[in-house]
Amino acid sequence: MAHPQAMQPARPPRTRTARPKAPDYLRPRMLSYLLFDATGIVYLLAGLVVLRAVFALASGPAAWQAFVADLHHPGYVAFHLLTFVSAVFVGVRFFRLFPKAQPARIGPLRPPPRPLIHAMLYAVWIAVTAFVVAAMVGVIP
Amino acid sequence: MEIFRHDLVVVGGGGAGLRAAIAAAESDPAARIALVSKVYPMRSHTVSAEGGAAAVARPDDSFEQHAYDTVKGSDFLADQDVVEYFVHEAPGELTRLEHWGCPWSRNEDGTVATRAFGGMATKRTWFAADKVGFHMLHTLFQHSLRFEGIVRYDEYFAVKLLVEEGRVQGVLALDVRTGELVVFAAPSTLLCTGGAGKAFPFTTNGNIKTGDGMALAYRAGVPLKDMEFVQYHPTGLPGTGILITEAARGEGGYLRNADGERFLVTRDYGVGTKAELGPRDMISRAIILEIEAGRGVQGEDGEYVLLDLTHLGEEKINTRLPFVRELALTYAGVDPVREPIPIRPVVHYMMGGIDVNIDGATDLPGLYAAGEAACVSLNGANRLGSNSLTECMVFGARSGLAALRFAREAGGVDEARLRARAEESREGVESRRGRKAGTVRISELRRRLNATMEKGCGVYRDEERMQETVATIAELRPLLSEIALEDDSRVFNTEVVAALELENLFDVAEAVAGAALARKESRGAHARRDYPNRDDQNYLHHSLVYHDPSRPRLATKPVALGRFQPEERKY
Amino acid sequence: MADGSKTKTFIVTRFDPDRHEAPTTETYEVPVRERWKVLDALNYIKDELDPTLSHRWSCRMAVCGSCGMNVNGEPKLTCKTSLAEYGDTVRVEPLANFPVVRDLVVELDGFMDKFRAVKPWIIKAKERAVEEGPHRQSPEELEVFRQFSMCINCMLCYAACPVVANEPEFLGPAAIALGHRYNEDSRDEGARERNRIFRGEGTIFSCSYANECSEVCPKHVDPAAAINQAKFRAVLDWAASFVTSGPREE
Repeated sequence: MAHPQAMQPARPPRTRTARPKAPDYLRPRMLSYLLFDATGIVYLLAGLVVLRAVFALASGPAAWQAFVADLHHPGYVAFHLLTFVSAVFVGVRFFRLFPKAQPARIGPLRPPPRPLIHAMLYAVWIAVTAFVVAAMVGVIP
Repeated sequence: MEIFRHDLVVVGGGGAGLRAAIAAAESDPAARIALVSKVYPMRSHTVSAEGGAAAVARPDDSFEQHAYDTVKGSDFLADQDVVEYFVHEAPGELTRLEHWGCPWSRNEDGTVATRAFGGMATKRTWFAADKVGFHMLHTLFQHSLRFEGIVRYDEYFAVKLLVEEGRVQGVLALDVRTGELVVFAAPSTLLCTGGAGKAFPFTTNGNIKTGDGMALAYRAGVPLKDMEFVQYHPTGLPGTGILITEAARGEGGYLRNADGERFLVTRDYGVGTKAELGPRDMISRAIILEIEAGRGVQGEDGEYVLLDLTHLGEEKINTRLPFVRELALTYAGVDPVREPIPIRPVVHYMMGGIDVNIDGATDLPGLYAAGEAACVSLNGANRLGSNSLTECMVFGARSGLAALRFAREAGGVDEARLRARAEESREGVESRRGRKAGTVRISELRRRLNATMEKGCGVYRDEERMQETVATIAELRPLLSEIALEDDSRVFNTEVVAALELENLFDVAEAVAGAALARKESRGAHARRDYPNRDDQNYLHHSLVYHDPSRPRLATKPVALGRFQPEERKY
Repeated sequence: MADGSKTKTFIVTRFDPDRHEAPTTETYEVPVRERWKVLDALNYIKDELDPTLSHRWSCRMAVCGSCGMNVNGEPKLTCKTSLAEYGDTVRVEPLANFPVVRDLVVELDGFMDKFRAVKPWIIKAKERAVEEGPHRQSPEELEVFRQFSMCINCMLCYAACPVVANEPEFLGPAAIALGHRYNEDSRDEGARERNRIFRGEGTIFSCSYANECSEVCPKHVDPAAAINQAKFRAVLDWAASFVTSGPREE
């Protein structure tokens, strides 16, 4: 999988070299990264579902009803579960890596301590989730 | 055979070599400087220095005090003109490093912080936590990348100095990558190849510290000076010899024996109220005497005493001594925040080296040396901790400039004769490759040399054991041509390099043992049980060792005294 | 064994361009001692079993950066990695993602070029004279870049990086972290110059934040943090260039 010229010298090598070995992709951390990369496919499919929903909405109440009925199909339920798990997986990963990507200072501004950024991300996540759930069950009109 | 033409060839890419190359490149942007090193420069052993670099920085300090501490630390064997120059140049050199990006630790007000070190009267050791050599080397290396005039030859092993018409005109080197011999032709050569700790079995030194430059100069007829003075650092990890910096004591660490007693305080070892901040030679002797008196702790790698940092607290250890903690955890399985670190004296530094003057010039025209490889006589019989990193800067710079100046005056080199001379040596090097018929392995011969050096040239020495060491080295030497070499590959043949390094170690070891035997007194790091006192009447001089195929020839050279007259060395 | 040692099997990559078309392996049985690191076993092989094995090493105290290798598939500093971490079989290979020169020795030229490409030195509009003395730099200002100055150039991060594997020209973790280290140094004035380099092809925006570099770094440099901070900086710098024409004040 490694590119044949990975880390090749700018000058021609003075003796023949063996081509670089690829990193071991089967290590747990590497697998987890590949899985993270693969969630992109899930979001692509989820996007298609949203598109279908928009078209259904535009085509009138009957089409929308049919779409809503379809959503009860076990295939759809399983897919949405997968989407949920993917989103949580990516979210947790993103939250873990986000704090340390903040520059140490911007002019006079300094970011809050990393654990605080971490906690804030989770707080926002929980708040948004609570809001959406509340809206869905009708607590918020 | 390929010839690379340069104005100046610097052999060795550590602190001194890089500083020299930068100084030369700065002074003349048109100069073509070769930086030849057997490893990539950032691997050089300067990287392992931990504690700091000395230079007067505080209002309560003075050049005179730094000079006095250095001369007294040297047991009055330092050349005082060299010391005076050194202390005056030191602050500027460390400031240059600061300008080049060295991340020196800071005081709250943003000024450079300094810490206490052994044998120094006040806090004058600049530091970057406890990875000072690492930061200095990387700063120098990164800064050196700016200069187009510096051409790096990484992983080229210098084999021989090419001497024509009575002056050095180049260096024969082995390109480790291809196995080819090449010639660096230049009117001036500067050796910055470091020390030779690997002559000993138990050393803080890395695998590359094999005295290559010392041996090159020695074989070219240049004497090695003050080689008997081998510094034992008091605090190395038993077994591996990994260095635990003196800064651990500078920051307030205690040495304790098996009974938990601070023996430097409770017993008289000559360090007075300095206690743990006494000079290295005295503290190493104190530890050996404690162990001999049965107050050491028995471990699987021999007896040791304890370096106790537990009272410093986790925060101070983490900010000031993080590397000490990492090393103790990784290599001794001990967390210094909670338990004392097992330590014992370990070979650390060669005070001696290639005999040079204050310009780094040897008596052989066109040959210069700086850093641990050289003996400019700053350190005399015992170096003070944190003076050597600064020495690499101060004398690296001065030698680099002097060597380049010489190159400008000396004119060209005779390439045809260099080539012929190099060809004469080709067979000698290439025949080693895959010389399977030998009777002894490199590792076996190295072990035997190491063992005899430890026995005869330890912390304490005596006539009988030194004589045995001199005899054993002479006995083992012929075996160098009996080494069996199994690797017949051209490409990256580390076995051939190791064989050449072992030959260099034999040359250095011979000089160390020979000079030690001849000095019938105790001075600095050279402590003899049979002659326990310093003898200024007969031995206030440098010792020189000249190479001779039959047996090394010894000579002496006067010490340059100055405003400090020899006095009893007591703290 | 009676002396407290235990035998482990080492499967070591061998490659000699004059002999082998491609790398092969050789197996050694090594009596290892309790405290040994991976490097101790390699040195035992070199000294006692097979002097033809080539590997780089020097300081054996985790600071010179010579002895990086892939051990059981993971990039490791072999002088720092205890053998106790492994079972009876240990696989030692040259660092992944680097061309192999010989046995466990890899080609560094490409890395050295990338290293230099980020201009890893203090850039000043006007050089400061020695007589002016050291800069003032507060402990807080030092702390901003200190971590990123701890890199020993062992190159484990390049061996671990999935981007390097697929995009050979990628500037890579250690080099970017080094450039960022100087950008964040209060003494430096070269950030604008380096950010121009960083906004080029195959540099910071090639990083997909796999974070593998930081996972394998033996010195806790956290190059992934550096790269992603550098992304932020480079964008800010780019945006600022529309507002001001002079050099960025920081």
